[in-house]
Amino acid sequence: MSFEWIKIPYALLTLFIVANYGFLLTAVMAKIAARVGRRHGIPVWQNYLDLIKNYGLRSSITHGVMFYMGPVFRLTGGVGLLMFVPTLYGTEMFSNMSFAGDLILALYFVFFGSLGMALGAGESGHPYSAIGVTRGLSQVTAAELPFALAVYAVAVQYQTLSVTEIVAAQQGGILQWTLFTNPIAVAAAMLSFLGTMMRPPFDVVLAPQEIPIGPPTEYHSSYLALMQTNRAIFPIAKIVIYMNLFFGGAASWPAFFLKVFLIYLVSVIVGVVFPRFRVEQSIRWFLIWAVPLGVIAIMIA
Amino acid sequence: MAYIAMTTGFVLILIGLFGALTNRNILRMIVAFTVANTGVNLVMVAVGYMHGRTAPILDEAVPVAEAVARIIDPVPQALVLTAIVIGVGVTALMLAYVYKLYETKRTLDISAFKDLKW
Amino acid sequence: MVSALYILAVGLGAAFLLGLLRDEWRAGAYGVSLAALACMSLISAGWVWVLASGDGSAVDITTAGTLPPYAINLRMGLAEAVLTLSINLTGLLSAVYLRDTMFNQGRRALAVLLIFTMAACGIVLTRDLFNLFVFFELVAIATGGLVLLSRDKRALAAGFKYLVASQVITILLLVGIIFAYHATGTLNIDGMAEVSSLVLKGGGLAFFLMFIAIVLDLKPFPANGWALDVYESAHPAFSAMLSAASGSAALFAADKLLLIGGSTWLPLATGIGIVGFVGANLFALAQRNDRRLLGYSSVAQIGLILAVIGQRDLLGDRYLFIAGGILLAHAVAKAGLYWLSGLIEGRTLTAWSALQGHPILIFAFASFIALLVGLPPFPGFYAKWELVIALAGEGRIALIGLILFGALLEAGYLFRWFGRALKRERAPEPVAVSSFKRAVILTAVAAGWGLGLIWGALSLNGNLLLAVPLLFAFGFLVLEPLSVQIKNSLAIAGLVAWFVLSLPSYDPLQLIFAAVMLIGGALILLASYQTQGRRIGFYPSAMLMYAGLAMLIVAEDAFGFFAAWESLTIGSYFLILRGQRSEPHALSYMVFSLAGAFLILAGFALAADGDPLFTLAGLKQVAAPLAPWVFLLLAIGFMTKTAAVGLHIWLPGAHAEAETDVSPMVSGILLKAGLFGLFVLFMAMGSQQLYGVELTHILLWIGALSALIGNLMAAFQEDAKRLLAYSSIGQMGYALFGLAMMNHLGWLMALMFVINHYIYKSMLFLSVGGVAKRTGTRDMYRMGGLITLMPLSFIAVLIGIIAMSGVPPLSGFGGRWIFYNAILTTDSRLPMILIFISGPIAFLYLFRLIHTIFLGQLKDEHRRIKEAPFWLVLPQMIFVACLMAFALVPGLALRRVDAYISQFHPEGALGWEGLTITSAFGYWSPISIMIVVGVIFASLFAWLVFVNRKAQKVKQFNIVFAGERPFRPETTHFAWNFFAPYRKALGFLTEPLVERFWAAIVDLLHASADLLRRLYTGNGQTYAIQLLAFVVVVYLLRTGL
Repeated sequence: MSFEWIKIPYALLTLFIVANYGFLLTAVMAKIAARVGRRHGIPVWQNYLDLIKNYGLRSSITHGVMFYMGPVFRLTGGVGLLMFVPTLYGTEMFSNMSFAGDLILALYFVFFGSLGMALGAGESGHPYSAIGVTRGLSQVTAAELPFALAVYAVAVQYQTLSVTEIVAAQQGGILQWTLFTNPIAVAAAMLSFLGTMMRPPFDVVLAPQEIPIGPPTEYHSSYLALMQTNRAIFPIAKIVIYMNLFFGGAASWPAFFLKVFLIYLVSVIVGVVFPRFRVEQSIRWFLIWAVPLGVIAIMIA
Repeated sequence: MAYIAMTTGFVLILIGLFGALTNRNILRMIVAFTVANTGVNLVMVAVGYMHGRTAPILDEAVPVAEAVARIIDPVPQALVLTAIVIGVGVTALMLAYVYKLYETKRTLDISAFKDLKW
Repeated sequence: MVSALYILAVGLGAAFLLGLLRDEWRAGAYGVSLAALACMSLISAGWVWVLASGDGSAVDITTAGTLPPYAINLRMGLAEAVLTLSINLTGLLSAVYLRDTMFNQGRRALAVLLIFTMAACGIVLTRDLFNLFVFFELVAIATGGLVLLSRDKRALAAGFKYLVASQVITILLLVGIIFAYHATGTLNIDGMAEVSSLVLKGGGLAFFLMFIAIVLDLKPFPANGWALDVYESAHPAFSAMLSAASGSAALFAADKLLLIGGSTWLPLATGIGIVGFVGANLFALAQRNDRRLLGYSSVAQIGLILAVIGQRDLLGDRYLFIAGGILLAHAVAKAGLYWLSGLIEGRTLTAWSALQGHPILIFAFASFIALLVGLPPFPGFYAKWELVIALAGEGRIALIGLILFGALLEAGYLFRWFGRALKRERAPEPVAVSSFKRAVILTAVAAGWGLGLIWGALSLNGNLLLAVPLLFAFGFLVLEPLSVQIKNSLAIAGLVAWFVLSLPSYDPLQLIFAAVMLIGGALILLASYQTQGRRIGFYPSAMLMYAGLAMLIVAEDAFGFFAAWESLTIGSYFLILRGQRSEPHALSYMVFSLAGAFLILAGFALAADGDPLFTLAGLKQVAAPLAPWVFLLLAIGFMTKTAAVGLHIWLPGAHAEAETDVSPMVSGILLKAGLFGLFVLFMAMGSQQLYGVELTHILLWIGALSALIGNLMAAFQEDAKRLLAYSSIGQMGYALFGLAMMNHLGWLMALMFVINHYIYKSMLFLSVGGVAKRTGTRDMYRMGGLITLMPLSFIAVLIGIIAMSGVPPLSGFGGRWIFYNAILTTDSRLPMILIFISGPIAFLYLFRLIHTIFLGQLKDEHRRIKEAPFWLVLPQMIFVACLMAFALVPGLALRRVDAYISQFHPEGALGWEGLTITSAFGYWSPISIMIVVGVIFASLFAWLVFVNRKAQKVKQFNIVFAGERPFRPETTHFAWNFFAPYRKALGFLTEPLVERFWAAIVDLLHASADLLRRLYTGNGQTYAIQLLAFVVVVYLLRTGL
């Protein structure tokens, strides 16, 4: 296969749109959550301010090579994930680098950033970082399971692992979405989704009142800027996968913005209602409520 | 006649075994075994002869060809003699053992020699 | 040829001559005795030579110038010649061994020894019941005398008990003989056999009495307390004779007697024999005294041979080969072990630790144990193979089961003993220094190996000792005096050369395994350059394992496969045992492996239908009712090696406690032997159903459970090497799961795991081994912050964990990708869930591994440590390169295999066009992934370096800590009980249920052995009663049958 160089500027364009949308979206979500709690909340451009502040910080330290590379791993994970999945359906322009691999690549690449980040945080030597990482890893073992089962159910349903083909199969009306053709799988996946968004009740990883902010405790200045960028891109990259698999994908940017917003909103709504779980509680919760759904999904698939 | 001898022999064997298995005194055990041995020898003498057969002398009366069916095999007789001799030998050996055993523990009770077990 | 009669004449004559000598002529008397024994041995040897070479035939020797039945006759055939040779040599060697004792005791003791040997030969040679009786009595009386050679005061009581028992036996024998004579009119054995119908009609009881008397002379379990006491207390040289010489003779007498009884008595012999084999081995488990243990083992072995004698009707012309193989192996080994015990002061099993520091004696010890257990290349191995095949051919499955169970018990206590001798603290008393005694022992060793050579030549299956890989491995025994560097180079050269030589004949599947095992083995051996000195024992063991592996992958017949399997098992056992605290783990490895090997043997035997030359291809033709059982036995056997859950408890300890360069061998390479076996099995037999259950479906569950339990256990380990070991269980679970899917991609995935697991597990074991070497501990929480001190080891671990976790862009992802594609076509979805959950759990232990060792807080005591030694790092770096290469172009290794698998599963082959690998469902382009990830990473890194160029390196305690300084690294390094909340949530899954299950079984065996052996009260009278009770019970069972 010959590589078309035009893909690179196209990809950068996608990245630019998604990053900015991400900055705004996370701020909006924070604001929504604050309003629910009768607080005023941050302005929607807060992320840009933070970014400028972080890059502008003069003091900058490092704990070693892995510490230095942690944020790089993190952001590579986010950007890569975005790149490996077609953002918009039916356009060559925004199909990104999805020729490199299928759904499975995306599923496993999710861990790339987290792993690198965990290593970087580990080198800082801060106990809170390590505690945060153990919590995150523990939780992810149970939280990922329903999603993996749902993905399997969907792959069996459409007999393909190609994201593009899965989206293609959902075209032709809202009732063709996996949400309606395979509701149990989607339900399982959405429960799993709650667990990966770092919001209550599954935010024990960062747990602000216990272990300041968990893994990134030692990070500051431009490190934090990279990670902040990732925090804008990564959730959207992940939501893109959900959107493509379960909600018919998006053929245009407006549809994209709307769907991503709504999917994101699910986790926010749940998050403002529930208090935080401890690790073992959330594991049990996933095993008792979400995994059985996933099991049913694969048994009837 | 042979039956009487055989029965006596078996009775002796049983008496001997009974004695050997019930007497704790080692000397009595040995005596009991000699009784049983005597019984065995008696049985052998009683059973070793087969009716209607002749002495193992090969001559005109007993041609070689028919010998197997007509003579008494001399080997059992040798067996009895040997058994008696061996019996004496074993008895002597056991008596020597008794002497030594008595020297070590100053007792003749068989149940005293249980250092080796399990 | 010298008449065999002279064996008896020389023995008797010399004994009488000794009576004429003067008491002071000690040396003269000793010389006469040795000369007589040597002369007797020579005569036997001459006969063996003539009869074995086929120049002569068996001869009958008549006495008194008359033919039987008028006179006594003897016979010298091949069996008689071999047995008398073995008896005479035992006598001769024991006489040499007893030199000092005999100089003390004088000519009378020598005469008794001569009589003993002569009489034992007489039992073998005679064809007459009268004579048989006489020789038996002579042996008994001589035994009564020779027992007293011992320094042990308790021998006196033992000898007396022995005489009491022999009195009872005599009575039974004589009464039996005379009635048998009465029924047949002859005392000649052959004469009686001709008219055996008469015996059985009129004199069934008579024959029974004769037969049981001979059986009692075999010291049958459980009526044998008197004999055990003698074994325990007699002089070891005499115990050797009692076990080897008189045991063999009595067995041959039983064999002769069964000629009269005919085939109806054979089941009785089998029954008594097999009960003895299993029972005595069971009782031996509870033994702590070495000589008494050997006594139990003798009883057991003789029981086994009696059982074989009972099966002679179906063994046909292989009867002598089989019975003889086991008998001679037993004789040599038992005599050797008794002689060896004479060098050791203490009488407990642990006292044998005095052997440490005497490699030659340890080699002797190991050889004797291998002889007894029947491991290759010794005669018992060939014999057991043909025996089990023949038994299975006739459907005697229960007997096979009992034999193998008994053999397993025996191997268990023997290897436990060996392990203790090697690993326990060295006993304070030194090994006796006596060149005579050592020469005797070494002669026995030579005899054992010689027998192995002969039995190999006689076997139908080809001589293992002439197989080049094994020869190469055993060659290292001779090279032991050389230094490690030379031996290591030779070993590497050998592995590579063998691979290159065999290259043209490998098919793609074999090629993958051969590359992993041989080239991979050579790579790991690079790490062995860092050891110093001579490293005695390492190379023969390691090369034995590699020889087994090399032979395994090319084996075409079942025998070759099984022999290779056992060879690699033994080699790896010795390797694992070398670890500092590996004694219990090596033992459990050996027991599980042997149990697995026995299951494999049973499986092959069932499939072979009586054909000892059965080929692996023949597995395809196994018919329906048998096939699933064959499948099941073989699969379980192979799964002991892959450590599938339930059979896995040996692995963590064995892999963790092994030496630094041994761990990667036994983990990265050895485990693949089990996978190869499963491949062979599945290729030949496909999937099988048993009672309507798809067996491969069960294997799927086992694989998935192994993956889950292995990963979960790994997450909770504090010991780095144990963590890696448990992770192997998980990884093998994945591979087993892939195989059991029985589709194209499943198999490809399993192969992917073969390659990947080899590379990253070897690499990780080497890195962790290097770290453990430098820090002096394997507990991860004692480490921390080593990244700057050991950067190369860190890189290896980093690459290793990324690859193992399956995160793109490294090669582990390929395995996951194939896995997903494979499961899309399978119907068994439930076990798959377990695999799904175990994937993320792998992150837990992988992160823990790298974090707690290399990241976090550096400890004060580690501030000065250096990078691991060069020779440990070099192979790691090569592995890193391999992983990268395999990640980029997996097609290099997998493409041909993919095509090869198509002949078994035509559907589902991958497309390999261009850079992208395609399946029916998706696609994957490793190079594109690598480039995309690389470009993004490089750009972001460059950006960070640009904006953050002034970052300042700070010290380790300079962290955000509420404005305070942390107290010490130990309290700040978050490492111990790393996943505490996880344990709270899922810890119930890590309850050691399997371990408890096996421990309960072992405890049960030991407790029952300890309880039941109290049957042996030590009272001579009780023993006599037991003897009679045994007779009565056997008689009742016999008539009841």
